[in-house]
Amino acid sequence: MATVYKNFLSSDVVNTRTLLHEAIPVTGSLVSGTYGPSDVALGSEPHIKTYSHGMFESVYDYPFLSSSANHIFDITCGYAGTSALSGASNTQNSKKISIYNQMAQVLMGYDHTGTIRLFDQDGDITSGTKMKECYFMNFSRLLVKDEIKKGTFALELGVVPAFTETGDCLAKRIKLTDSSGSNGYFVNSPAGEYGILFAQTTDDGDATLSTAQLHEETITSQVSIATSHKAAGLIFYQAGIAVISGSVFNANDTHDGLLDNAVDTLILGGKTAGNHGFDTITGSTVAVMANGLRNRVYDLQFDNTTELNSAIHFCRVNHNEFNYSANPTYLNGSKIRVKGNNRKNLPVSYITSVGLYSADRELLAVAKLSEPLKKDPTTELTLKVRLDY
Amino acid sequence: MAFLDNSGDIILDAVLTDVGRERLAKGDGSFKITQFALGDEEIDYSLYDPEHANGSAYYDLNILQLPVLEALTDNAAGLKTKLITVSNNNLLYLPLIQLNEVFGGDQTARHGDGVFAIAVDETTEKKFTPGTHLVDYGENINQSAKYIRLDQGLDTTTLSPSMALPGDLTETQYIVEVDHRFCELYSSDCQERASISFIDDDNIATYYLSLGANSKFVFENNVTAASVATQVVDGPRGTIFQFKLKASLELNDSTSLFTELGNVKTLTDIGGTSTYYYIDSYIRVMGATTGYRVDVPVRFVKLKAD
Repeated sequence: MATVYKNFLSSDVVNTRTLLHEAIPVTGSLVSGTYGPSDVALGSEPHIKTYSHGMFESVYDYPFLSSSANHIFDITCGYAGTSALSGASNTQNSKKISIYNQMAQVLMGYDHTGTIRLFDQDGDITSGTKMKECYFMNFSRLLVKDEIKKGTFALELGVVPAFTETGDCLAKRIKLTDSSGSNGYFVNSPAGEYGILFAQTTDDGDATLSTAQLHEETITSQVSIATSHKAAGLIFYQAGIAVISGSVFNANDTHDGLLDNAVDTLILGGKTAGNHGFDTITGSTVAVMANGLRNRVYDLQFDNTTELNSAIHFCRVNHNEFNYSANPTYLNGSKIRVKGNNRKNLPVSYITSVGLYSADRELLAVAKLSEPLKKDPTTELTLKVRLDY
Repeated sequence: MAFLDNSGDIILDAVLTDVGRERLAKGDGSFKITQFALGDEEIDYSLYDPEHANGSAYYDLNILQLPVLEALTDNAAGLKTKLITVSNNNLLYLPLIQLNEVFGGDQTARHGDGVFAIAVDETTEKKFTPGTHLVDYGENINQSAKYIRLDQGLDTTTLSPSMALPGDLTETQYIVEVDHRFCELYSSDCQERASISFIDDDNIATYYLSLGANSKFVFENNVTAASVATQVVDGPRGTIFQFKLKASLELNDSTSLFTELGNVKTLTDIGGTSTYYYIDSYIRVMGATTGYRVDVPVRFVKLKAD
């Protein structure tokens, strides 16, 4: 019986899972500088989208009115209702509390009484220091895909106290990473796995790295020693959200922050906002705070992860199968061209495509070869056709 | 001793067709891959030169250099020609499927424009005499004796039609794909309406018509005489597949599809000439056993103005 279809055996199909990673480099100039020269008001840059509700600010890689623009992340900030910074007279006080609570309930969940858990500095939710004032960087699904690859997140921030839009505030830098000094990751969040971001000095403004920008940090032979790195935030891998503690922007002596006393508290909220570090939040809008962080981003990078589930179908073509063709050019009249005039010549066919069919012979998937593949009774082939989901 | 080159694993990335995606989205278990077929639609076998002066290495040189197109995701357009498994390697001939326009004279002949023309409503039917104008009736199908016939077999004078076509080369089932917006399939005596197996996302209805189960559509060709004027297959003959088309209500009642998909043309009719809307399409007939495929050109016509 001639036939054109061949059934798969159960052993002909195997399912595999592959993790694909892409490096996502976001340079600080893209976030703050490229479309934001100093003569454009902060927040009015064409690649920055602000909203009338004022709850967050969106950053695009191109002027967002263009169809070529990609949304890369959102920036927002807030504090817990129990934070020392919280106060009824604060600018957007309720919105900042709402944002903190929303992020906390999604990322940290609730305790046994139904109370929203606060962000925890060391991942031990039962005790330890809580991060009550935070920046949130919510990365687009376009960049994160299924998750951020653990150990690849790095956010480098300028820590020169004075605020400028010319890049001068980036001359001294610290880097927040989830690798150096990290003790693995945590699974006690309802939003998936998360790791701790640790801070280290990467540039002290000199040719040689010698001056620590962070309190109690040790630099030896131009290298920041991992054991001296302090927790500065959390990175939620599946959610694609970085939580950056407000203490990153505060001096240790006056505000119990991470910065070395010599570095002092930064200006965050713009040119005229004053020298208050994260305390600026009390008198500034979320948008002003977002602009402050955005213009201190020197570099941001991580690898994303795409979980690829594949079904590999082994199309086994035996020597005595698929040697003839129903292609109209295969015949001259009814005579097979490739045989010449000799029926003893072996039949030959050329494979260019593989079709995967349902039981009712509907074509469900197609795979193509890059070039015609010769098939005759002296050859056997196994074509591995991979279908990704 | 050198290592053998084991880099020849052929791994292909498949893309889902539109029907594949639709079934996957349904989530009802209808997306289940159970079989495969191999295609060669880019290959022009007339490039095969078994007489090449430089020897056998050059026979298929031109074929192997042919470029291959990316996959089409339209289920109806993918794998148009398939490879066949036949256990006998010594075949010199393969059966084909041919339109038989000579069997019934005007009853089986195409219109002068090279298509099977179908009048989609009674008003249009009254403008044509089927036997004279070679336009079939699509509404009152029993008022016209015209039908479409395809013959299967080995078209060669080398083998006598008195020889039986080998059983494994005899087509026992025909797969017919029809644009369901335009027409339905009926038996040539108008007595039986063919059952649709399924209609895909592009409104292509698929029919499976088998020898025995659909005896009004598929039957054996018992004519064994050579050089018969009613036959188009010169060698051993297999089966016959014949059918009529009934126009859809949409074509019958409305001109919307004609204005959207068709055009306007002047045709010769009973009164001389008139202007007609028309849509050109095709009926795809494929042998389930041999994979051989024929596209039958059809034209649906509707009177626009006398």
